[in-house]
Amino acid sequence: MRRPRILPYLLVAPTLLFVAAFTLLPLGEVLVGSLFKQKLNIPRFRHPVFAGFGNFVDLFHDPEFLQVLANTGIYVAVLIPLLLVAALGLAFLLEEKRAGVGFFRLAMFHPTVLPMVSAATIWMFFLTPGYGLWNQALRFFGYAGPQNWIGNPSLALFGLILVAFWKNVGFLMLFFLAGLQNLDRSVVEAARLDGAGGLKLVAKVILPLIRRQTVFVTTIAFIGAFQTVDHVFVLTQGGPSGRSSLLLYYLWHMRFERMDVGGSDAVTVIIILALLAFTVTNFLVSEQHEK
Amino acid sequence: MRRLIAISVALVFCLGAAFAAPKVDISLAYPVAVDAPITAMLKAWTQDYMASHPDVKVTLIFSGGYPDVKTAVETAIQGGAKAPTLAVMLATDVYDLVNAKYVDSLDDLAARAPGGEAFVKDFLPAYMGNSRYKGKLWSLPFQRSAVVLYYNADLLRSKGLKPPRDWEELGKDAEALTVDGGATRWGIEIPTENPYWTFQPLAIGAGKNVYTDDVTVNFDAPEVVDAVQFYNDLSQKYKGTPPGVQSSWGTSTQNFAAGKTAMIIHTTGSLAGILKTARFKVGVMAVPGRAPGSLASVTGGGNLYLTAGHSQAEREAAFAFAQYLLAPSRVAEFSRATGYIPNRKAALASPAFKAWLKEVPQAADAVKALDYAGPELATQDLDAVKTIFNNYLQAAFNGSMTPQAAMDAAQKESDKALADYR
Repeated sequence: MRRPRILPYLLVAPTLLFVAAFTLLPLGEVLVGSLFKQKLNIPRFRHPVFAGFGNFVDLFHDPEFLQVLANTGIYVAVLIPLLLVAALGLAFLLEEKRAGVGFFRLAMFHPTVLPMVSAATIWMFFLTPGYGLWNQALRFFGYAGPQNWIGNPSLALFGLILVAFWKNVGFLMLFFLAGLQNLDRSVVEAARLDGAGGLKLVAKVILPLIRRQTVFVTTIAFIGAFQTVDHVFVLTQGGPSGRSSLLLYYLWHMRFERMDVGGSDAVTVIIILALLAFTVTNFLVSEQHEK
Repeated sequence: MRRLIAISVALVFCLGAAFAAPKVDISLAYPVAVDAPITAMLKAWTQDYMASHPDVKVTLIFSGGYPDVKTAVETAIQGGAKAPTLAVMLATDVYDLVNAKYVDSLDDLAARAPGGEAFVKDFLPAYMGNSRYKGKLWSLPFQRSAVVLYYNADLLRSKGLKPPRDWEELGKDAEALTVDGGATRWGIEIPTENPYWTFQPLAIGAGKNVYTDDVTVNFDAPEVVDAVQFYNDLSQKYKGTPPGVQSSWGTSTQNFAAGKTAMIIHTTGSLAGILKTARFKVGVMAVPGRAPGSLASVTGGGNLYLTAGHSQAEREAAFAFAQYLLAPSRVAEFSRATGYIPNRKAALASPAFKAWLKEVPQAADAVKALDYAGPELATQDLDAVKTIFNNYLQAAFNGSMTPQAAMDAAQKESDKALADYR
């Protein structure tokens, strides 16, 4: 009779413990917490009271939360495609070995190393009405301004998208660049010999070959879009009139300013579900193609 | 014999060490995001304090801004850890902090500490409004400010203008001082990215503060609606300020000092920075009100709180350290370095502050503004109410709602948010 093998379990035990302590346990607490009304700054709700799905119902009846959901939807829907297309385009441009390509790679990558707070502070001055660099640049193209980017309810969210785009595009470009540099050249050459070129070569040959990088980049771009909040604090504080408030910023307010433990747990559950749904779908669609 | 003496001496030392009073550890969390050399000053004072009080160890914790300090206190207490013993947080946060049991009352400490009661009584009444709740004392004014009007006195004189005495004069002055539709210079800038605070002097100047008590707001009062209309008039009727929401808290002081804006409504906390960079005579006054000759301002800033969950020895050491930090000479020195208005009567009367007033008469004008100041918006569930008010104020400023409709909606939603506390 063979003795049960303990070693594999011992080897995975630290990881399992880590995941259990720092992911599963908090996740369970949040799930349970989201079913209780607990608001620390209201004496009668300082201790949790079971509310079923009451927190979720309250959230979906709250115009502020609905505004935040809409803002986040627009933010993600505009930012992610922009990032993917630009990062891929830049990777194509900077992949080939030309004079000065190193400088441009560095130039595109450098915003990545800046903290988001610094990036947002730089852009606060860029976006200043009147003499801000952004408006000066637009004026060069005939714009009559001055436009108040972060004070205008229709533009504030796009101000945030601009900052997040500038900050992240170089980082995502790196993954595409690595993918392109690891492509099997013979496949690309064979396609070229068969007459494929330009967009057809990219769409039919190169993109399928870097699908795994694309899935990875899309996933981290999506998760990143939900996680960045610093530029909201620096640039708009969610305003004007809540038109640039994003989920994480709202979550922070719920938990630490309004002391609404149950409500913030419910928001966390919604964020986790959104991230999970996107990541799993993204992965499944990619695997489907693989088959 | 020698050996016996040596052993006895060693024993005395050992017993001394064993029975010596253990050091009391306290800490102070301070929001460092203030444009002044406060950290160096606090560090030096703390070192001096520990040198003269060897039984106390004080650790300074510098965090970004008021919300960071509050978050640090909340997470520590919620996580079962000890929060920083003392914390400088917004004076207006008192209701949330007390309801959540994050802070401890100071009454017993003030009663027992040498000179404690006289110390508490010496704070300016205008700044004690947010310190008491449910009949107890919860915080001490620490770095308090007020909203004032800064004006370029040289520019006004050169244009034959006098400092404005009412809304109409403020509008006309702003109009006269604007050049090239604001491209070269605006008459006035009023930062409104987080508008409730800079707006309050307009409402108070119209005759009504935006709230009455912790569960009663006056957002739909005719005076408040008129104040919203006046803000819009400054851009629409007088063309003297940028239209809509002005995201200029950080840039308006620089614009003012650089001559790109003739007047700004800002905090007294910016006084030192403005005086350092402006190359013209800076005038400071309370914000003109609607009626001729009327003035208005609003208090603001942070108070020193004692957080919950500390031993009696720590609480007493913390209160003694607070008394030391808020000694009149230090309050005067702090004001001189920052522009924050002294919060104690004894500090206002101190030779150090009087000498500074001679040097910088604008500081006296900033202090005078307190005579016209109403309290900063402070309600239960403050963040929810502030967010509602800010959102609708900005909707009115940006023209997506009329002032009346916006303030009616703000009142309705705030009443709903406050219903749980009534």
